[in-house]
Amino acid sequence: MHIPDGFLSPAICGLTYAISTAFLVWSWKKARVTYPRSLAPLLAVSSAFVFAAQMINFPIAYGTSGHLVGGTFLSILLGPYAAILSMTIVLMMQALFFADGGIFTFGANVFNMAVIGGLSFFLVRFLTKDPKRSDRFFLSVFLASWLSVVSGALACGLQIGFSPVFSDAGGIAVTVPAMLFWHVLIGLGEAAITTTLISQLHRLQPAVLNGLAILRGETT
Amino acid sequence: MKRHLRPLILIVVCLAVLIPFASNAPDGLERVAGTLGIEEYAPTWMGLMPDYTLPAIDNPYISTLLAGTFGIFLVLGIAFILGMAITKPNK
Repeated sequence: MHIPDGFLSPAICGLTYAISTAFLVWSWKKARVTYPRSLAPLLAVSSAFVFAAQMINFPIAYGTSGHLVGGTFLSILLGPYAAILSMTIVLMMQALFFADGGIFTFGANVFNMAVIGGLSFFLVRFLTKDPKRSDRFFLSVFLASWLSVVSGALACGLQIGFSPVFSDAGGIAVTVPAMLFWHVLIGLGEAAITTTLISQLHRLQPAVLNGLAILRGETT
Repeated sequence: MKRHLRPLILIVVCLAVLIPFASNAPDGLERVAGTLGIEEYAPTWMGLMPDYTLPAIDNPYISTLLAGTFGIFLVLGIAFILGMAITKPNK
């Protein structure tokens, strides 16, 4: 879902940069009053994991592939604010060193994957209700991670559809349904992988699930 | 530190095992652009390792594995600095 340079108009680039910057400032301020020092190594390792996971594309159907984005995964490990910042680091390194996602489109990519991914935490919180019931929690993680990819694709479809390169090809009436079609499927992969990872960590290393601790109100 | 070394090794090993199985098919967005006949420009900024390969290395597996391992440690380092910046000391 990484948008390369050339796909978005300067106006959309500027707008998404502004919106993403606002979310990053908000996350930074919230993070500074939320997290203990012990989060730093976990943040480092989980960001590295998400970077590696995004390299592995899985086939979906009809010659199309997708990969884990990992926004919901990060938000359950780190809570929403550090998840947004962590994913932004991953996207920044991909754009700077690997030509994966553009420089001018970076703001849009941060919004579609980091911001939406991190905010999916609040959907997990809304759906889980009683965080002591792990079956309900896992179902919420499944739905939120699926929806985070679908919403990111919707945002991406709107951004490209309103940009001249794609508006000549039909605009949002074409790009939004097309992006949604593929990402409804890719999102199932995201949801399956995220739920498997979270449920295994819940069983083996429950202490790393800081987001779950925040859900339970166990954090300072 | 040792506690975090194990997952890190696991990440690199998983990457090494999974690279050959990764799909080269276009992703969702590339597919949409392709169907609409929109060409991707040559990137304005190539980066050092475009498409997760080291241009100097011919073997695609080694090339991707080295680029990926470099990226893992790069992200690890920058994210750790971020982690130190956003967390409160002595807690």
